[in-house]
Amino acid sequence: MNIRTIVVNGILAAVYIAVTMLIQPFGFTNVQFRVSEMLNHLVVFHKKYFFGIVLGVFFANLFFSPMMAYDLVFGVGQSVIALLITIFSMRYVKNVWARMAVNTLVFTFTMFLIAWELKLAFDLPFFFTWLTTAVGEFVVMAVGAPIMYAVNRRAHLDKLMET
Amino acid sequence: MMNSMIIGKYVPGNSVIHRMDPRAKLLIIFMYVFIVFLANNSVTYAVLTVFTFGFLALSRIPLSFVIRGLKPIIWIIVFTFLLHVLMTKEGDVLYQIGSFSIYEGGVKQGIFISLRFLLLIIITTLLTLTTTPIEVTDGVEILLAPLKKMRVPVHELALMMSISLRFIPTLMEETEKIMKAQTARGVDFTGGRFSERMKAIVSLLVPLFISSFKRAEELATAMEARGYRGGEGRTKFRQLVWKWTDTAFLAAVLLLAVVLFVLRS
Repeated sequence: MNIRTIVVNGILAAVYIAVTMLIQPFGFTNVQFRVSEMLNHLVVFHKKYFFGIVLGVFFANLFFSPMMAYDLVFGVGQSVIALLITIFSMRYVKNVWARMAVNTLVFTFTMFLIAWELKLAFDLPFFFTWLTTAVGEFVVMAVGAPIMYAVNRRAHLDKLMET
Repeated sequence: MMNSMIIGKYVPGNSVIHRMDPRAKLLIIFMYVFIVFLANNSVTYAVLTVFTFGFLALSRIPLSFVIRGLKPIIWIIVFTFLLHVLMTKEGDVLYQIGSFSIYEGGVKQGIFISLRFLLLIIITTLLTLTTTPIEVTDGVEILLAPLKKMRVPVHELALMMSISLRFIPTLMEETEKIMKAQTARGVDFTGGRFSERMKAIVSLLVPLFISSFKRAEELATAMEARGYRGGEGRTKFRQLVWKWTDTAFLAAVLLLAVVLFVLRS
């Protein structure tokens, strides 16, 4: 791993946490609106953003989630799995909008892992929990797609990892 | 928001828990997460509660700090409690309204699960209350070291973590500054229509990204210019020391597991 990748991802994780802290009251409950989840779309611009996103999720759960220990395993696990699926699909899907759509659907679908976590830990009903968590994730990522597209047009996220 | 400038919720102190090795604390938490599931009757829950509050007392952290941490999650606890009270149909009927009845088993189950929630939160918040983020990162790096054999870039990840921790306060400040600057230009971050809110977020994220990645660029160049090479042969400024108290606490948690296993029904 070169130094640029390490540094950019380290700072990206810090951005994730800064954004999570700004909207803290909406996350960590039954319907999760974690605005920072829209940063998941970064991966469609370059697969190396994977590390920064996962680290951001790791820290956010470690320091701010009341259910830290479970969220560390399941939350980080969900991000890793979803991001890997998206990265794999990027071999076949080239259009940025299509990639974002895939990413949104993958993240929404994999929320079943979070529902499973809540079912195991607190015996909450699986499908209802999946629905509430997936709705939160879907809304944030669907709204996040045009936002991240706009950010990319000005910040050239795809070029940043190349140079 | 400004009070969250201190990353995590670390409360400085010099208690036994504060002085524990972060590796021991992380191990204890991960053991506790499983141990909690051993409790399944009044006796085991009582033992678990006494044990957890014992830890809290040893840390000398005022209860008010822990209660503050519970605020964002209080509704999910209430929701979980009500759900179990209304859905479980075991034992005697305690109360009946029309065709709707509340069972003894439901109330019991509701109390147990809410208590499990509460105890877990107390133990995990205790880690962030008594350990600095840097210590946690050091602990995580050492605990993940065996993964190096599976070619996981542990050292690089640890460096990423340290950089990230270093930049969180800087970026928080930056975000505040950008928000103020955009508010002065007429952007409303607190209200407005949905589309207006989206535009507001764009006006925050774009400058935030551009300035953060500029910082990343500068840092990467500086590190390359100084010939930074991580990993092999690099020594550490902060050394973690495993003490006999760490072993004792780990043993206590194992003992707790055994006791709960014997007493559970």
